[in-house]
Amino acid sequence: MSSPTPAEDEVPAIQTGPKGVINDWRKFKCEDQDTPPSKKALLRQISNPQSDDAHDRLNRKMSVQEYEMIAEEDEKGLRKYRKQCMKEMHERFSFGPTFDSVVELDNGEAFLEVIEKEHRLTLVVVHIYKDGVKGCEALNSCLDCLATEYPSIKFCRIEAAATGASERFSDDVLPAMLVYKAGELLGNFLSMTQHLSEEFFAADIEAFLNEYGLLPEKEFVACPDEEAGVEVE
Amino acid sequence: MGEMEELRKEADNLKDQITEARKVVQDTTLQEAVAGTTLVGRVQLKTRKTLRGHLAKIYAMHWGTDTNCSKLCVSASQDGKLIVWDTLTTNKVNAIPLKSSWVMTCAYAPSGNMVACGGLDNMCSIYNLKGKDGNVKVMRELAAHTGYLSCCRFLNDSEIITSSGDCTCILWDIETGTEKTIFAGHLGDCMSLAVSPDFKMFISGACDFTAKLWDIREATCRQTFSGHESDINAIGFFPNGNAVITGSDDATCKLYDLRADQELITYQDSGIMCGVTSLAASLSGRLLLAGYDDFNVNIWDMLKAERVGVLAGHDNRVSCIGVSSDGMACCTGSWDSFLKIWN
Repeated sequence: MSSPTPAEDEVPAIQTGPKGVINDWRKFKCEDQDTPPSKKALLRQISNPQSDDAHDRLNRKMSVQEYEMIAEEDEKGLRKYRKQCMKEMHERFSFGPTFDSVVELDNGEAFLEVIEKEHRLTLVVVHIYKDGVKGCEALNSCLDCLATEYPSIKFCRIEAAATGASERFSDDVLPAMLVYKAGELLGNFLSMTQHLSEEFFAADIEAFLNEYGLLPEKEFVACPDEEAGVEVE
Repeated sequence: MGEMEELRKEADNLKDQITEARKVVQDTTLQEAVAGTTLVGRVQLKTRKTLRGHLAKIYAMHWGTDTNCSKLCVSASQDGKLIVWDTLTTNKVNAIPLKSSWVMTCAYAPSGNMVACGGLDNMCSIYNLKGKDGNVKVMRELAAHTGYLSCCRFLNDSEIITSSGDCTCILWDIETGTEKTIFAGHLGDCMSLAVSPDFKMFISGACDFTAKLWDIREATCRQTFSGHESDINAIGFFPNGNAVITGSDDATCKLYDLRADQELITYQDSGIMCGVTSLAASLSGRLLLAGYDDFNVNIWDMLKAERVGVLAGHDNRVSCIGVSSDGMACCTGSWDSFLKIWN
C-alpha cells in the first residue's frame, strides 16, 4: 500500500472531502499575498496539530476567526493557486526512479524482489512468457517499446519456467501480464492474446493498460486557458 | 462538582448497559454467518469514459437517480463550477458558475429538475435546471447554518437535508427557503449524510466519532453508532436500507446493522494507514468502494471483509467516488480535474 514514509513526506493534512476543501483554503490564504501576515500566522497556528488548544478543538474543524476570513476572496489569486496545486500534485506523484529498458528476471527470487523492493510509487509490469507460445514474442517487443516511452514504469519479463511456479503459468495462460505497485498486485491479466487482436502493437498494449487506469500521464498537461471557460455542448 | 461526578457515573453506567444489551442479542458474527460463502474474485474495472472540462480538483460528485437521468451526474470542482454531465456521450449538459470556489458537496435531485451545492459559504444553493428560458439560475440560497456545508441530499423537489460544520443537520423547505427541522445532537462537525432508500430516515457521520440515525418526520435521533476511533468522514446506507456503512479517519470502514443496533464488521488492513473520505456500495451491496485520503480506492468484499481490488490502478488520483443508481457504473473525480466512468 502506498503509505507515506515519514522521511520523504511530512504527514500531509487531509486532502479529500470537506476537510480537503478546508485545508486547501487554508493553504491558499497562507500563500495569497493579499492575506495580512497576522492572519497567516493565525492560520498556521490553527493548522498545526501540535498547538496547545488542539485538544479542546478536537471536534471542531474550523475556528471562528477563519469563518470571518472567508468573506474576503480574490479570483486572480485563486486561478494561480489552482494551477500551482495541480503542478505540485503531479510532481509529488511522479518523483521516483526511472528505467530505460525491459529487465529480464532470472528466477523466482528476482521476481519476488522486484515486487517487494521497488519504490512505492513505481509501477512494475511483469510479462510472463515462454518461447514458442503465440503472442509472447510480439508482447516482448511491445514492452521494449513502451519501456522507453514510460521511464517511470519498471517493465520486466520472466520465463514461465524460471518463476518456479510453472504449474500456474501453463502454456494456455501465456502470455500473462502482472502489474504491481508498492508490493501489491493491481492487475492480473492471463492469456493476454484474448484481449488483443491477431496483430497487435505497442499502442494496443498501451491502450489496454490505460483502460484499467494503470498508466501515468505521459507529461504534465498545463491547465487549459481559464479565459476560454467551459463550453456547454 | 459532586453532582457532575454522579451524572458522569450514570452516563457511563448507561453506556455499559447498552453494550451489555447489545451483546445479549448478538447470536452470531458476520464472519460465522458467511463462512460458507466464497470470496468474490479479483475485481478489475475499466475506464469507459473520461469527462474533461473542469480546471481543478474535483471535490464532489453525485449521480442522478430518476430513470431519465440515471446516466447523468453532477460534479463540483475547486474551479468554482458545477457541471452536469451526460456520461454516455461525455457532453456537458450544464456548466454552472458558483459564487464560491470552496464547494464541498453537490447533489442531484431525484426528479432531475434541480442540483444543489454548498461549502465554506455556509449555504446550500439550489439551482433550477429546467428553467423556462433554458438558463440555469440560483433558485434558493438556504442560509442558516453557522458552519460550512459538508453535505446535502434532496428528499424531493421541495425538501433537502444538509449537514454542517456547526454540528447540526437541517431539513429545509426549498419553496420558502426556511428550516423545517434542525437535527442537533452531534458533538462534532457533521461531515456527511445519506438518506434511506424509503426516504423516511437519514444518517449522519460526524467528528464526534459517531453516526446517528434520524427519523425525518418525528425529528428525533433513533440510534447512535459508535466504535470508530476517529472522525467519520463518509457514510452511506447499505442498499437494502437495513445497515449503515461508515468511513473514518481511523483508516477503517464499518458496517452497522440497524435492527441489531451494533457493528457487524470492520473493513481494515494493517497496510492501510490513511483515512477514508468517500464511499459507495455496489447495487447488490456485495462490493464496497472506499476512497482514501491518499487518493486511492480500495474495493472490498462486504461479506468476507477482504480487499478484492483497487480502482484506478493505485494511481493516487481519486478525490471522490459515486456508484450510479442503476448500479451500472461508478464515477471517480480526481485532483487532476478529470472524472472517469468505470465498470
